[in-house]
Amino acid sequence: MFRKLIYIVISALLLFSCGGNGDGGKTKLVFKVGKVAGQSGYLAQIVEEFENENPGVDVVLEILPSITDQQHQFYITSLEGGSSDFDVFALDVIWVPEFALAGWLESLEGKFTDEQLANFLPGPLKADTYNGELYAVPWYVDGGVLYYREDLLQKYNVKPPDTFAGLKQAARKIMKGEDNSKLAGFIWQGKQYEGLVCSALEFIEGNCAGILDDGGNPVINSERAIEALAFMKQLIDDGIAPEYVTTTDEEATRHSFGNGNVIFMRNWPYAYNIFNTEGSKVKDKVAVKTMPHFEGCESASTLGGWQLGINKFSKHKDWAWKFIEFMSRYETQKKMALNVGLKPSRKDVYSDEDLVKQQPFMAELLNTLLQAVPRPVSPYYPQISLVLQAKFSEVLSGSSSAEQALNEAQTRLTEIINRRK
Amino acid sequence: MESRFGYLLIIPALLTIAVVAIYPIIDVFILSLYERFLTLGIDEFTGLNNYLKLVNDARFWNALKNTAVFTFFSVSLELILGMAVALFINRPFSLQGLIRAAVLLPWAVPTVVSAKIWAWIFNTDLGILNYALLNFGLIDADLNWLGSTGYAMAAAITVDVWKTTPFAALLLLAGLQVIPDDLYKAASVDGASRWQKFRHITIPHLKPVIMIVLLFRTLDAFRVFDAIYILTGGGPANSTETLSVYAYKILFQTLDFGYGSTIAVSVFAAVMLISIGYISILKRRGGLLS
Repeated sequence: MFRKLIYIVISALLLFSCGGNGDGGKTKLVFKVGKVAGQSGYLAQIVEEFENENPGVDVVLEILPSITDQQHQFYITSLEGGSSDFDVFALDVIWVPEFALAGWLESLEGKFTDEQLANFLPGPLKADTYNGELYAVPWYVDGGVLYYREDLLQKYNVKPPDTFAGLKQAARKIMKGEDNSKLAGFIWQGKQYEGLVCSALEFIEGNCAGILDDGGNPVINSERAIEALAFMKQLIDDGIAPEYVTTTDEEATRHSFGNGNVIFMRNWPYAYNIFNTEGSKVKDKVAVKTMPHFEGCESASTLGGWQLGINKFSKHKDWAWKFIEFMSRYETQKKMALNVGLKPSRKDVYSDEDLVKQQPFMAELLNTLLQAVPRPVSPYYPQISLVLQAKFSEVLSGSSSAEQALNEAQTRLTEIINRRK
Repeated sequence: MESRFGYLLIIPALLTIAVVAIYPIIDVFILSLYERFLTLGIDEFTGLNNYLKLVNDARFWNALKNTAVFTFFSVSLELILGMAVALFINRPFSLQGLIRAAVLLPWAVPTVVSAKIWAWIFNTDLGILNYALLNFGLIDADLNWLGSTGYAMAAAITVDVWKTTPFAALLLLAGLQVIPDDLYKAASVDGASRWQKFRHITIPHLKPVIMIVLLFRTLDAFRVFDAIYILTGGGPANSTETLSVYAYKILFQTLDFGYGSTIAVSVFAAVMLISIGYISILKRRGGLLS
């Protein structure tokens, strides 16, 4: 009996070891990518199409957890050790300068002609360029958008607001009329994490202010930035934004809005398709528009999304580039958009007939994404963000005034940036 | 000759400890004397600069305060509740095995999973806690559990207590079972009340176990990371940011390895002090280690 068991174990081991290199001379290309809800299955299909087109290569899809920080940490640990375990990987839009400076990304300068590059949205391209060189190719794009309950706005004869003041007025009118204590006027991502910086940046830039100026110097305590933050806090104090906005991440806001408890919500485009699936409480009641702005300024949408880059230590860089080229093609991007709802990084796909028919809000979205601004393109961004997350959270939870918190943030940011100059 | 052979035999064990415990500790200490940013290409020796920075870092002191508050309340509650649970399941009753296993359930769930579940329970708008409290008429409006500086720490402590009380109960139960029954019988003959038996038999006999529970739980609670990271990320306004959460952010989000290591060393030093304190009490009281 015991001997039999040993035979079974040994033959099983042999089987496994054959599986590892049994594909007979094919190049193994490893593609690392974070899990995005519902995406992985379809991604495998797309990868298979690439393999059919290129019989010499076997692409291994390796999925990382969906939490961005964990992916960041994974890449840093393995790249710092010079790992060549993966060839192509998906990078969050804020990592490119950091990884490029560290020498972990293969430069992609000159791989695409200027004409080809012009097909991509300008925001992500800017974020993927460091010191004048392109280090990654935009794969799919995200940008903050304003979701609103079209049915409620129509019921109260309110036009979708263009300005924050207009939004406040509209929310107040509807909340008064509905008389439902559960109904919140406006929510955004307000938990102390990266999402808070993304949300707040839209208020700040929407008031003609910013975090860094063009020369890379901090300007976060400008009068207009303080005004924008104070406005966010005022929304909570006036009961337009619920107090729980200090706890919300993307999914928490999506669930509250999807449950019919919210009139206006700032979120990424992914939620739209979920709201319109069968069984959703807000099906056919949701519309999307560009984020509001303050009087006299323009709307800003924080750029998110994922880029494809090549591991500097990869041993299959030619295949890696071929793969990136394939993933950023018109046809591939169209399929990803139609089947998984990812937003293409190419401008031309947004006017695709099939896509517009299926997702009519694409045209509106393109306007938003054309205005999308990267978070400060700086290798210091992670440190900057850590300070801002805490300071913005202080303002929203009422432990400091906007002025005090941003003055302190300015001091900290100046220290960070001046440390090496 | 024989003693030399004995030393030879423990070399593998010593080597293992040196490689997995002592080397990393020394390495972190050395790192704390450097300014090192892998992604920025900065790597230079700066002596005690990082420690100077630590002393002047308000966020560090805030994190230390939060850690102390968290540790004190969660460990005290765990000991009290764990004692109650242990006394309860120590008595013979039907379904004893089943109940004992059920009590351990929270301890068996990975912290990440239980923290995520609790985050939804505490969700202000959609969570079951507010729903229940509202329906029972205990509150008039939703409470902002994880989002107000007043409640967030209490919520985090609740999650830790829920999770680790079974651990305390388990150790205390083991302690209860080695107390000889004769003592209680003799006390009964002498006419002792239940409280007197608890006060004069149970507590003195349990003392070493209680100290062990306190030691383990204090060390664990002092390094709390996962539950808080998932529940609140340290917010709002850093009100739940503990030393480990802060160290994690500095080390892994900003990649400031030098300063991050400095915070880690401070956690290590604090944990060492706590251990030494407990162990010396244990020794003085003539507990397990005497």
